[in-house]
Amino acid sequence: MSKRRVVITGMGALSALGATTRDLWNGLLENRSGVRRVRRLVESGITVTSGGEVDAVSPDNVDRDHEIANRAIDDALAESKRVAAECGFIWSTGLDTFQLGATGFLHRSAGRCFSNLASRFTGPRRMIAAACASGTQAVGEAFRLIQNGHVDACVAGGSSVMLTPFYLIGFAGLQVVAIDNGDDPSLACRPFDKKRKGFALADGAGAVVLETLESARERGATVLAEVIGFGVSQDAFDLNRPCDDGAGAELCMRRALADAELDGEQIDAVNAHATATYSGDLAEAAALRKLFANRWRDVPVSGSKGAIGHAMAAAGVLEAIVAAQTCATGIVTPTVNLRQVDDGCELDHVIGEPRDVNAATVLSVSFGMGGQNAAVILKKYV
Amino acid sequence: MVYLVAAAQEDDLATMRAEKPELWRHVRRYNKPVQLALAAADEVMKFSQDPSTAAVISLAPCQPGSADLYSWGHVVTSGMANGTLGNLRMNPTQTLHAVDNLAMSAFAIAHGNHAYCLGLGGAAGQAWCGLEAVLERLNAGFEEEALLMAGDQDAAEDGASGSGVALLFSTRVNRVRLVSVSRSPAIVDVVPHATNGLAALLSAIAEHRSGLMSYVVPPQHTDGFSTVTVTLEIS
Repeated sequence: MSKRRVVITGMGALSALGATTRDLWNGLLENRSGVRRVRRLVESGITVTSGGEVDAVSPDNVDRDHEIANRAIDDALAESKRVAAECGFIWSTGLDTFQLGATGFLHRSAGRCFSNLASRFTGPRRMIAAACASGTQAVGEAFRLIQNGHVDACVAGGSSVMLTPFYLIGFAGLQVVAIDNGDDPSLACRPFDKKRKGFALADGAGAVVLETLESARERGATVLAEVIGFGVSQDAFDLNRPCDDGAGAELCMRRALADAELDGEQIDAVNAHATATYSGDLAEAAALRKLFANRWRDVPVSGSKGAIGHAMAAAGVLEAIVAAQTCATGIVTPTVNLRQVDDGCELDHVIGEPRDVNAATVLSVSFGMGGQNAAVILKKYV
Repeated sequence: MVYLVAAAQEDDLATMRAEKPELWRHVRRYNKPVQLALAAADEVMKFSQDPSTAAVISLAPCQPGSADLYSWGHVVTSGMANGTLGNLRMNPTQTLHAVDNLAMSAFAIAHGNHAYCLGLGGAAGQAWCGLEAVLERLNAGFEEEALLMAGDQDAAEDGASGSGVALLFSTRVNRVRLVSVSRSPAIVDVVPHATNGLAALLSAIAEHRSGLMSYVVPPQHTDGFSTVTVTLEIS
């Protein structure tokens, strides 16, 4: 069976930088962080009060999980000029959420949220559950389904509403979130930096419309980027941390390259997972150096979590959206809050300001807690 | 072509603890659905040619968490209401109980599996997406074996009973061939519980003697938007 070419024709993003893909891109170009002190967290008295809040939907809205997801989905469909009823739906709604609502203990089921979101789509409807790699895997799985002829168009992505004391205390227990120490909250997440101390948890949603190049051409749709490769792997190492040499991460990136029939020489830039955890950044940097071999000093690397925090199920797709915009413009955005690269994290980091390198082929990667890794490769459509 | 090589259902943790102490040591800190899924997977992987290279497709619990996690959740929400959260700490093991990919990760670590993995969430009807993914992976020649596993509990909050199911598929010829999974639109009420859905399929296979078998998934086990028909050939 011949493989069909798959392109992105619509994108939607809600993040700490704003409610549109343009807000996300412009904030990154400006080297600006949307992470800030969150009032309700301060009032709760916990030790983590910084996060990536999405302002577009009130935190008091009991349907916040649906609202955030639906806005990103609707924006992506509108840009693509497609309707949900003609698309598959490959999506991650992250984890169940537990918080205090107006009527007491409030349990939001991620599965029920998914089913509600999926109701207006045709099949396939797959709920991806791969922790922090979910958003990237959703894009990759949709790509594969379209490429192999199982469906012609899909909405893919993820949404996350986890900026609650429950998860902040939980992730603090795993020593992966940045605890407040009086710093400017916008500096909470510092990927690859000597002063990094973990990520800032965030809410968010990202959606992309994927379809065959043929259908995009027939409809006269604007192609934003082409998806050309996808790979996944498992670390099989530890539930809470990656192996030091990043072997699992490297394996999924190599699988994506093989899938795209490329080698490392043909990657122009990387949108890194870059969580700002101590062991995660070291492992990722090691994996990228091995992947690019003697070219590692020449491949620009950028991470988005310093600017928007870690939006968990949405993180990978928000980063793929950034990668698509890099493909379209050739510009690699800076890693917000990276100032002094830590020993062991050496790469060709983009620091302080965007870099116009005419990047056309971009690798976007996510590495989930528990060891699920996913990578997609996007390419400028010409 | 894709064949069902082995299937197992586990619902008795006490027996596992007594008869498989090594496995119990590996899973004891996880929540019940994950323990049961891993116990079932342990059984079927005895029939695998190479557990390290099989595709792993894992269904997250339809009701995640554990009684411990819920108790802790109530402490947090009470603390929020009273403004007494302070320096409350969470046991990292209980954080794991909220995670949707725990069974897949634990399986990979136990078997040194770096292969393709797909975690499907706890929404209704995802079990059949898992079967579709098995067909896609093995028919495309990506892997030679695929594990599909699920673990569910009837109620997370009170530690109620549950069960785990695992199915091992292979491209090696065997008695039960998975032919197709097909869908047609239908709107029905559902009860999210992947394990019950797969267990009912296994019961139907066990009752069917030979020949083609079209198993129409009971509406409550679907995703609520489609009628699902699983076609098998039993020789």
